[in-house]
Amino acid sequence: MGSGSSPCASCKLLRRRCAKDCIFAPYFPADDPHKFSIVHKVFGASNVSKMLQELPVQQRADAVSSLVYEANARVRDPVYGCVGAISYLQNQVSQLQMQLAVAQTEILCIQMQHHQDDSALALPTQMQHHDDDDYKPFLLPTTHNLDNISQYINFASSSNVIQDPAATVKRESLWT
Amino acid sequence: MSSGRCAACRYLRRRCTQDCFLSPYFPSNNPQRFASVHRIYGASNVTKLLQRLPTHLRSEAADSLYFEAQCRLEDPVYGCVGLIFLLQQQIHSAESQLIKTQAEIAVMKSQTQHPQTQPFRAISGSNNLLLQQSDNDANLIFSNQVSSGFI
Repeated sequence: MGSGSSPCASCKLLRRRCAKDCIFAPYFPADDPHKFSIVHKVFGASNVSKMLQELPVQQRADAVSSLVYEANARVRDPVYGCVGAISYLQNQVSQLQMQLAVAQTEILCIQMQHHQDDSALALPTQMQHHDDDDYKPFLLPTTHNLDNISQYINFASSSNVIQDPAATVKRESLWT
Repeated sequence: MSSGRCAACRYLRRRCTQDCFLSPYFPSNNPQRFASVHRIYGASNVTKLLQRLPTHLRSEAADSLYFEAQCRLEDPVYGCVGLIFLLQQQIHSAESQLIKTQAEIAVMKSQTQHPQTQPFRAISGSNNLLLQQSDNDANLIFSNQVSSGFI
């Protein structure tokens, strides 16, 4: 927590007195100045403060972590930010869905062939039967406004600006 | 802009000049777009972010800023990072299912080729599924190929 003698990273950067109830102090300790610096650069201190004030205290740590992640992604890829990583992951999901469909078709073909050959093998029926959850389509949730996501997928494929979105996704450790 | 202000200048209640920097990216027909971006990033931050970019990339950057701002408004705690989490989970689930399905295919094919084969001995560990034929014709080893993931 902030104290008169040891300002948090935010107050140090903003050059102001760090009050006891400083909203930033719990999440931006003095020993990690880069964390606040990058969030301030992208979002601005006052915007971050407003966002945190609107959240219950128990959710603020996660919010800060996600803001830091987004800010890092935006600095690393100033054009697409996190959207580059999202479109990359979307492509991965699509590819895996295709591979899964091919594999499942192959199973059906093999089973049909077995039936045709009047094979003696008793294939366990659960090979064909999956729990409903397994067949849940990998659709993005409707809770997010994703009306524009398709154009970002096009951005990813057509633009030469993508700055290694795989690195953005895998390198960052959001929660330590 | 002849007589109409862009969405940014209308929101900020200022005069929209002909060389208004934000007007190409925040047209007047979509006031929500600038409102969202301004709430999360602030007009001056958006201007600074876009000014650092080559002109031909600014429009796409504005689009991605709008998308992220919308995600943050809908999910104030995780923003678009929540979406990344979800996609990572979907990839993990799809990879696991794919590995399982491919293992089933291999078993079925093996049984087709060697219908007299002894029953398989299956050993499943935390990350590896090892199937060995007793006649040592083939050793099928499948390891968990799930990526290291988000965290």
